[in-house]
Parts: sequence; structure tokens; C-alpha cells
Amino acid sequence: MKMKKVMAVALSLSMAMSLVACGGNAGSGSSDAGSSDSGSADAGSSDAGSSDAGSESGGAKQTDGKNVPELTTDDMTITLWDIATEEPNKSTQEAAVARFMKDYPNIHVEQIHQQNDNYKQQLVVAMSSGKCPDMYISWGGGPMAEYYKSGFADDITDLFNKYDHPDFIDAAVAQGTYDGKVIGIPFGSLSGCDVFYNKTIFAENGLEVPETLDELEAVCEKLKAAGITPFALANAPKWTGSMYYMYLVARHSGNEEFDAAYTQDGGSFTSEAFLFASDKIQDWVKKGYFPDGVNSLSPDDGQDKQLLYDGSAAMMLHGSWMAGSMAADSQEWYDENIDVFRWPEDAEAKAKGVPQDVEIGTAIGNAFNFCSKGDQAKLEAMYVLATQYFNDDQYNKEQMEHLNTPSIKGYDAQVTDPCMKKITEVFFNASNVQLWYDQYLPASVTEVHKESMSALFGLEKDGKQIGEDQDKAMQEAIADSK
Amino acid sequence: MATKNDNFSSLANIRKKRIRLAATVFLLPTFLLIAVYFIYPVIDTFVISTYKWNGISADRTFVGIQNWVTLLHDKLFWSAFGRNVIIMVFSIILQIPLGLFLATFLEQGGKKYNFLKVIWFLPYLMSSVAIAFLFTYALATNGGIFSSLASLFAGKKVTVDLLGRSPHALFTVIGVMAWQYTPFYMVYFLAGYGNIDPAVYEAAILDGATRRQYTRYIAIPLLGPIFKTACTMSLIGSLKYFDLIWNMTQGGPVNSTELMATYMYKLSFQQFNMGYGSCVAAGMFILITVIALLFQKVFVVKEDY
Repeated sequence: MKMKKVMAVALSLSMAMSLVACGGNAGSGSSDAGSSDSGSADAGSSDAGSSDAGSESGGAKQTDGKNVPELTTDDMTITLWDIATEEPNKSTQEAAVARFMKDYPNIHVEQIHQQNDNYKQQLVVAMSSGKCPDMYISWGGGPMAEYYKSGFADDITDLFNKYDHPDFIDAAVAQGTYDGKVIGIPFGSLSGCDVFYNKTIFAENGLEVPETLDELEAVCEKLKAAGITPFALANAPKWTGSMYYMYLVARHSGNEEFDAAYTQDGGSFTSEAFLFASDKIQDWVKKGYFPDGVNSLSPDDGQDKQLLYDGSAAMMLHGSWMAGSMAADSQEWYDENIDVFRWPEDAEAKAKGVPQDVEIGTAIGNAFNFCSKGDQAKLEAMYVLATQYFNDDQYNKEQMEHLNTPSIKGYDAQVTDPCMKKITEVFFNASNVQLWYDQYLPASVTEVHKESMSALFGLEKDGKQIGEDQDKAMQEAIADSK
Repeated sequence: MATKNDNFSSLANIRKKRIRLAATVFLLPTFLLIAVYFIYPVIDTFVISTYKWNGISADRTFVGIQNWVTLLHDKLFWSAFGRNVIIMVFSIILQIPLGLFLATFLEQGGKKYNFLKVIWFLPYLMSSVAIAFLFTYALATNGGIFSSLASLFAGKKVTVDLLGRSPHALFTVIGVMAWQYTPFYMVYFLAGYGNIDPAVYEAAILDGATRRQYTRYIAIPLLGPIFKTACTMSLIGSLKYFDLIWNMTQGGPVNSTELMATYMYKLSFQQFNMGYGSCVAAGMFILITVIALLFQKVFVVKEDY
């Protein structure tokens, strides 16, 4: 009877346990499992160099005349994981793969679209059980570094220096680089972060686009007086509120204080710029510059842009993908009402010589990481796929049509949408683009940072407390990595 | 004589052997499944909990009991455990009495309430993820049902923010859980009522009991053992709760709905800390087992009917 009870209790626990345990069945098996799902490719790698004649007989290719590695003529399968479950990305990315397979019929690319929500977890499970996909999407920053350090992201510096690739903007290459080694090939688009505002409301209330924080606060006061919430913010996922925090820090201290806090070498998340940012945000919350219940609104349900749509809010600091998103909801309304301005300058800091052109965003959007498990022929094939088929003219043309600007030099000139034009200009004129904290920081610190944003906007902790929380997490992360 | 005995014993032996063989053959698949999907993962979780491991790297460092020491002093874990206990208490005092009340109501109403039976059971049939989405929309401060209704009655724009601040969020989630699980206990108690021998009812009525007296003094006490099982299920369910919380709040705002399971998930899969995440999982395993066994020990109901 007792045994039965123990078993009954134990069995009902199995659900909770198996969640963790499914990620834990390897760690040692990464090398052998890799070769079992790419057996044919291994055979091909040995004679990759001697197959020049064969590949030339394949007819005209997109890569003809380009300085790219000769690819194997043996059969090969490449597993590719992305998150393109929805249009328009789905067809754009599938088409790129199709063009590659047409030119290299012996190479089969198995393209698997993962749900974004589960993707990072799926990837961790796949890696730990030795089934890491050959190439996969990442967003640079802390997680990419983690993949690289664990041996699941190849160093492709040699390929990158030796062979052709699109002329990526420097910031994009920098974000795909870790520890001086190129790891990621960008294939998404750059994302700036600027303030979308309702120009009709601004005109009706006689408001000018603010250029300094003081002017911004004056605009907020006037909007508030007119019964309009100044900022449309949905802070449930916390990275949205983080944008305000990051920009206030950047305008107050450029990159300096964040960089110092990041290394914890004389710096701290309680230094002046961070306290300035926290105090400003909490002051604004108290003055009602953000919508009520800001921590429970979610951008996934479009609850922030809805506040813009129904005229109850006038401004929204957000990633540039919002332009395409709003235009897709209603091109007409978007054209009529939406314009964009860059985050206002901090006049005081400027007077002290703090650069005002550090912008927040990502130059890389998405990147491909490669996990060839030492199979050079496969790595070369993946390099060609990522640089010459993703990122080719057709791919970039489709990207532009969907209001995405590829992170490649020259595309900024081709942007036609007025909002995107401004966003791109701001981006290209930046002295430095600070990657979103929640992607730049180590994963454990990211979690603390996000909780801090929730506490900040919910007025549950002040700037000093969240600064100390973030310091503590950062110090632990640094100690861990040693 | 001797040979006869030998024959008997060897026949018996053969029979025993055959039974043993058959038992082994029939039990093997079950045993294998349990071993692979339950015993091995549990043991492995305990093994991993002694390593410092990011979950993907091939090399992991043995750190002995260091993770366990951290766990003992981990405020986040213990406050998450505290919230699990709050949820457990409220689940038991909300879901089980409500379930019993609904079941009693339906039991007394007889067949004419069959449609209610179906309707009230529906929430339990929905997946937690769907329920989470449903309530996230209903509770939204911007156009959600609660805020809209409040605005309607107040005559001006009112924001009812139930999920965005603490401690409201935790109790809101407890309410949603009650909505989801009460129907289960309703059906459970209905089945319990169904199991009572009709002769008991007939005897009670013959002795002059009213229907109400029968329910109050005879039927409900007879449900005793079922209460115990229901409470144990609710207890274990509350302590390992994950899906609804994860989809509604992800443990936020500011950790105010963080439970042991969401904490474990974040550590293991978002923060690349599989070693410590496994330690949290193993800690959960021990805590839940101990609490469930204690509960069974303390609330012994005589199974004598």
C-alpha cells in the first residue's frame, strides 16, 4: 500500500520532470550523433577538392563568375532551421533555398520552420542531444556566444575573408562576430528604433516634433492636457519598456556607462545615466505618460498599436518592423497619419560633449549560424547558400517590398517609404548601434533586466534597486564565464 | 513414491517457470516504457543537478552539491515555492467545495440538468494554452471584458488591471485555475455519488430522512475517500503547475506569479543553466513527494464503507 502511494505520487510528477530531462540525455553524444545523420556528407568531404570538373557541367548558375568555393558533387543534405512560419518571410526564404537547390541539385536542403516561441528551447534540446541542425537562425548577442563556446557554431572567419559575400554594413558584421571571429551571416534586415507618432494629432494640437528631452516632456504635457496618452507602450514582454530605458541611458552617456556596467570594471547599472533613465521613466509613469495597466498590455496582440489606431495615444517608441506591420494593417491610415522621429537629444549631456548619435537597434536582424561538425564541404555549401542565395538580388528585392532594409551597403538609398527612409538614415548616421540589451546581455542577466523593466514601469522598485539587481546578475555571469 | 513426488514438484516448477516467463514478457514493455521515460529521466535529473552545465556544451563540470547549496539559499526558488503553496491552498479551498456544490446541485436536479452538466464541464476540455489566451484577452486593460464593463458602469474610462501588478496577478491566476479545474472535481464527485449503492438511499428515505438530510448526513460523508484523492490530486497539480501561468504571465510581473516550474524552465532553457535548472527540478520532486506523502499520512480517512 505504501509503495503504491509512493508510486502514485511519483508517477504524477513525471510530467514536470520529463520537461527538464529531455534536454539532459546527452552532452557526451554530440560527436557521434552528428555523423549518423550526415553519413553521406561525410563521404563527400574527402573528395570535395577533386570534383571541380563535375560541378562545372551543371549549367549556368547564379554563382558563376563569383569567388565562391567549389561545392561537392556528391549527394549532401543540409538541415536548416528558421522561424519563417508566416508570410511574407516564408515564401521569400523558401524561394532562396529553391534557387540554391536548382543550381546544386545534388545538395538537398531540408528547411524546417520552427515556431518562434519554442524555437530557442527546441534548439537547446537539439544541441544537447547531438542533433544540432546544420544551419540555424540566431539573433547574435549572448545566446550566439553561448552556442559558439559550446562548439555548436562554427568560426567562419576564413571563408568570410577568402570568398565573396554581400557588402554587409560594418555594424552587421560586428554583431555577427564574437571574440574577433565571424560566426553569423546576416540574412534579416536592420531594425532601427524610433518614435512613431500620429502627425494628425500633432497638427491638431499645434505640436512640433521634439528635438530635446525637455521638448518631448512639453509635448507630453500638452497631449496629456488634451486627454491623450503620450506614449503607446505595451510592456508585458518587458523588452518594449526596455527601449525607453536604453535610449535614455544612451542619450545621457552614449555607450560609455553601459559598456562599463557590462564589464563591471568600475562601472555599474546604478551609475548616473541608469538612475537618470529610471527616474525619468518613473516620473513619466506617475504623470500618466504611459497607458494604464502598461505591464499587462502585450504587443503580440497589437495592443500598443491599437492605442495609436484609436487615437488614445500619440507616440510609440518601437522597432522599425512596426512600420511594415502598421502598413499591412491599413496602408491608407498609415500613410495619412504616421510619421517618425528619432529619440530626442539630452541637451545637458550634449553640452558636456556626450555623443547624441548612439542609436538602439540591431544591424543583423537574423543571422545564420553553422554547425558543420567539422565537415568542411558542408560548411562551404552552407556558406554559399547563406551569402549567395539568401542575400541575393531577388531576396533583397522581396525584402524591400515588405519594408525591410537588408543590412547591406547601398540599400539605404533605395528605401521609398517615408518612415523607413528616416529610420534608415538615423541608423546609417549612428556613430554606434547598441544592440538591444535583452539580446546583448548574457542570458541570465537578460532575465533580470527584463524583470527590472517590469518593476520599473510598475513602480515596484526604484532605479537604484533595479541597478543593484542587474549588477549582481552581471557579476555572477562574469564569474561564471571564467 | 519418490519419483511421483519429483514429478509433482517438477510439474509445479515448470508451471511456476511458465508463469514467471509470461509475467516477464507481459510486464517488459511497460517496464521498459517506465524505465526510459520516467526512471531514467528522474535519475538523470539528479545526476545533472551535480554539474555546472549550460545544457548544450559537451563538457560539463562536476560541482558536487554546490547547486544544492545554492538552491537552499535561493530566495527566488523559495518565494516561488511559497506561491505554489498559496496556489495549492486556494485551489483546494476553491475548486473542491465548488466542485462538490455543483455536483450536489446536479445530483439533486436529476436528468433535467443534463445540459448544465455538459456546459459546466466545457472549461476542463479546453487546453490550458487556449484558456490562457482567452483570459489574457478578457483581462486586457485595453478593450478587455472587465475593463469595458467597468467603464460602462462607471460612465468613464476605467482600467481594471488584474494581470499587470502584484499581488493581483497571482490571485487572478488562481481564479482562472479555479474556472479551469472546478469542472473536473464536479465530475469526480458526480461519479462518487453514482457509486453509492441505491439501497443506502432507499433505506434512508424509508427511515424518514429527507433528501437534504440524506445528502448532508449520508451521501457526503460517504464521499470521504474521494475527498482525499481529490485533495491529493489538487495538491500535486498546484505544486507542479506550469502551462497556464507560462502562457498568461510568464511568471511576471516582477516574479509575482513565478512558480517552481516556470523558474525551472527559465533557468534550463532561457538562461543556459541546465545544471541548476535540473537541481530545481529535483528539488521540486523531493518537495512535492514529501508534501504529498505527509498529506496522505495526516488525512487518513477510514476506508470502511
